[in-house]
Parts: sequence; structure tokens; C-alpha cells
Amino acid sequence: MGTTRKHAVIDPATGKIDRGIFSDRAIYDEEMEKIFGRAWLMIGHESLVPGPDDYFHTYMGEDPVILTRDGQGRLHALLNMCRHRGNRVVRCDDGNAKRFMCAYHGWTYRNDGSLEHVPGKSEAYYDALDFASLGLIEAHVETYAGLIFATWAKDAPGLEAYLGDARWYLDTVFNRRDGGMQALGPTKWLEPANWKTMVDNCSDNYHVPTSHLSSAAVQSRFLGRPRLSHDDQFRSPNKHVFVNGHAITFRDADDNQPRYMHGVSTETMRLFEDYHRATTPEVERRLGTLRARRVQLGNHSIFPNGILGFRLALPRGPLKTEFWHFVLLERDAPEELKRVIRIGSQANNGAAGMFEQDDVDNWRQVTEASTSRFARRHKQDLSMGVGHAGPHPDYPGLVSERYISENNQRLFYMRWEQFMNADSWAGIPLDPIRARFDGTATMRG
Amino acid sequence: MNANDKPDAATLTPRQALWLDLMPFYIREAWLLDERKFRAWLDLFTDDVLYFMPRRKNVPRREAQRELTPLGDLAILEEDKRYLAMRVDRLDTGMAWAEDPPSRTRHLIGNLEAEPLDNGEVRARTAFLVYRSHLETDHQLLSGYREDVLRRVDGGWKVARRTIVLDANVLLDKNLSVFL
Repeated sequence: MGTTRKHAVIDPATGKIDRGIFSDRAIYDEEMEKIFGRAWLMIGHESLVPGPDDYFHTYMGEDPVILTRDGQGRLHALLNMCRHRGNRVVRCDDGNAKRFMCAYHGWTYRNDGSLEHVPGKSEAYYDALDFASLGLIEAHVETYAGLIFATWAKDAPGLEAYLGDARWYLDTVFNRRDGGMQALGPTKWLEPANWKTMVDNCSDNYHVPTSHLSSAAVQSRFLGRPRLSHDDQFRSPNKHVFVNGHAITFRDADDNQPRYMHGVSTETMRLFEDYHRATTPEVERRLGTLRARRVQLGNHSIFPNGILGFRLALPRGPLKTEFWHFVLLERDAPEELKRVIRIGSQANNGAAGMFEQDDVDNWRQVTEASTSRFARRHKQDLSMGVGHAGPHPDYPGLVSERYISENNQRLFYMRWEQFMNADSWAGIPLDPIRARFDGTATMRG
Repeated sequence: MNANDKPDAATLTPRQALWLDLMPFYIREAWLLDERKFRAWLDLFTDDVLYFMPRRKNVPRREAQRELTPLGDLAILEEDKRYLAMRVDRLDTGMAWAEDPPSRTRHLIGNLEAEPLDNGEVRARTAFLVYRSHLETDHQLLSGYREDVLRRVDGGWKVARRTIVLDANVLLDKNLSVFL
């Protein structure tokens, strides 16, 4: 679109970006419409609504949404807004209910969203109320390996096309086992930072040896985990890839090691290794040899606001973001392994997590720097590795030559521009699916 | 009270004596935290401690038993002594950014209720208001209660299990980097 772009916030050749996108109210309002009103948004996991009539309260951007499983087992994402005046019809975090009654005037909806009962239907409304047009507003829902996504856009492509070749990598965590995963959580807290700072941070491996050095150092001392240094990261054969809007990093080593995740320690390593060995044949059957033995998803984000697995950055105005931290566990893993991963997860991520607590002031000050008209004249610099990424013979997406790169960051803001400048989904480019998905795993799990 | 202004054991019920024994323990703990003497604070916990902060959900009043997430669900904190020690050690690295520069805290602990358990341990509940000020203008009031199991070790009390329940659903602070 060249110079006619409405939003031209990043110069791809220099990596300079306009700070205004982190604090400008008008831009934020437009994001809610053009990004959160259009994109497939991760909103839940099937394990949060396991049975008939279960519900889980979630958000699509700023909008409160009731994720329900109706009596027939079908999933619905319903805007939590009574069609009469706009009051919420659900005020709890989760539960089991066949119907939701608005506490204002008593309008009552079935858990598939249809309007069932209105007090005074005949006596006050003269039977003139059109029930069929007054159900709760419903989003389009699709699932990927148990993760539930929803979009408000009627013209959105299917979720499979939306994830595209990113799924080739995502499968190595979310789609490993026949039994699927279960989600625990969320812990929820309010961060004084723009939502994009945390999404962008997901594949910023450059910050790790500085921001998280203290946590890595004590975990090395207490748990026998490897020390973390810039040199290790610069030498790492791991990869940094951008695929169809989604930022991916992955471990690339032909040694069939278990994924190095929070919870691993000298004592627990054996648990991880035994489990990995025992499940390798199943994972090979599901994902093929290359992905089962060689590729391990690392830090990543799913556009626009899915962060490091099933964790959500929910915008709450340009300067605030509500963060939801979940842990995903393979359902058929041994209980002791699940416990170790759960404890590792809370110790490192979440509001009190040792790693996560050291991030927020960075993001917050990046956000606040953008509120000054003077400071804004000086653009953010995302120039690292410009011109050093391209297609790879083995791996889908745009692969950076080095693991430490700002390629994903630049491409994230370019993806942001594509959404912001498009009049409809027809104007938002999608990379075609090119990867070979060996194995039996599918979108459905 | 006798002439030395010490409680006269003969006039106290066992519950009152226990209360008077425990309250200084909690006051001392609060000062250790607010004066950032975290290694001494860590010594107040047994080696087998569970330091646990469940999540707190919005549920219907009639389903109040679901309000706190049980052990085994994802908690805000589910720490053993080693993880607590890691958190304390981290603060001395000079690069624990959430607490460097450190928060200014004030732990107000009150509403103590204590009851002896059959195994000689004691269950003690306290309410807290913790004020946290950080950097220039960040501040937060954390309100909640603790339910502790206390054990006599070498003539002093140690916390063998602490459950911390915050009076919040969405935590309104940027992170939870202070000890409660």
C-alpha cells in the first residue's frame, strides 16, 4: 500500500517504530475494532467447560464473554450483555447453569444464547417482543487441539488458515498426546502496560539474560538448571520464526531431549526424561519424526494476544492490560510430573512468578515513555538483524539467521499495520499453508 | 498482671496464654519483613513448610465451597522452603528488578485467633493489611488473611504451613513481589 497506508508505524528497513501506538487512545479504540473485532482470539480451553451446561467467563479483548457448553455438548461464545439494557447476565467466573437470568429486569437466556423468558411478555410487551432477534450476541467458535478460539468477524477465514503454518510448531506442545491437555487457572492481575508490549516480548529472547538473570542464577544454584548468558543465547542453534502473524521460537537439536520447561531440576529431570522416552513413539505417530524428535516450541505468541501457551493479554485501555496466566498439562501425564510442572509454573510465571515479576516495569516504562509528546519524537529502535531472515529449507515461515533477532518484533508490528489498514478480512493477507504435517494429529487434536 | 508487668499464668486461660505467646511472634515477623530482613524471616518457617496462596473466584453464595481453589489446582503461590529460599536469595543478586529498588512495605497483622491441635501444633488465623509503595508513585493495599499451622521447634514457633487468602479476584497490583 506504500505511502497511502493509513497507519505507517514501522519502517521495515530501519526497524524504527512510532511510540504513539502504545498510548494513543484513538489508536487503541481502532485496535479494539480492527484487531480484536476481527482476529481469532484465544478465549478458553475445552477442559474449562468439560461437561454439559458448564460455563467459563472470559473475554474477547475488552468484551466480557460467556464460554458455554450447551446441553448437547456444543460450545458457544456469548457476549455477556443483556439485550435489553446491557447488564451482564453472568457475574461468576465459572459454573454450571442451563440458563442465565439478568439481575436487572429478569430477562433469561438459555446457555445456547437464545432468549427464553421475559417478565411481562404479554402483560407489558403486548407479545410484540421479537425473541428470535434478541438472543445473546454469539461469536463464531472453533477449536484447535482443545484450545478454544472465537471471532466476531463473519468474514474471517477458518481457524486452520488463521493459524497456518504456525500450527506446525504449536503442535509440538499443544498436540503431542492422544489424551490432549487440561488447563488450570487463571491467575489474574492488572499490569500498567500496553497489551502489545507483552505480546512483542514473547519472542524477545534478547531480554532474557538481562531481565531474568537473577531468577536464572538462583535456579542454577538451587535446582541445577543451566546458567543463562548472552553468549549461550548468541551461540544457540535455536530458531526465531515468524509465521502468518504468529511469533515462534523453537529449540532445534537432533537429540530427542525433553522440553526444557519450568519445573525441571536436577531431581526432577529423570521424571521428564522417563516421560519423554515413554511417549516418544506416540508423539512420532502423531507429529512425524522431525517434529517429535527435533523441534520444541519455545517462547511464542499467537496473534494478537495469546502469550506463551494459553495465557492472555486482555487490553483494558491503552495503558492497562489484564493478564491471565494458565498452565496447560498433558492430561495423561503422571500426577507427580503434573505437580512438578504446576509448581514450576507458579514459581516462574503469574503475578508472583520470579521471571514474570521482573518484566512488568520494563513494559510499563516502554508504555509510559510513549505518553510524552517530546519523547515520542524519538522512535523505538527495532533494527536488530534487519535483512537477516528468509525462507528455510526445513522450517516453515520466515526464519531469522540468528536466534537473537528483532525480526519477529518488526513483523508483529507489520502484521498490526495489516489489520489496522484493512477495510475487511479480504484486505488482510494470509500465508498459504505450505508445511508438511506428518503424523496423525489434526486441528481437532 | 504481677508487679513485673508480666502476665500471671495463673489468671490466664490456656487460650489466652497461647494468644499472648503468638502475637509477639507475628509482630516480630511483620518487622522482619518491613525491615527487609528476609533471611531471618525465612528462619521462621519449618523445612517442610507449604507456603500456599490459592486463587479466589467469584462463585454464587450457595457454592461458597468453590470460592478458593484447592491444592492441586493452579495457585498464585505453592512454594516449599527451597522455592522460598530461592526468592530470598534472588533479592541479593542486584538484578531482581521487581524489588530493586525495593518496595516499601508495612505489614499490619491482627485479628489473631489460635487453637491448639491434637498433635501439639497450633492453628492460627490472622488478618493483614499490607501497604506496598514502589518506585515513585506505585502503591497498593493488599488485604487478606493467613491461616497458619505453627509448630514448636527448639523452644520457638515456626510456621509449618501458611495459607494466604487475598481479598481480591483480579489482583490490582503490577506484580506480587512482596512476601505476605
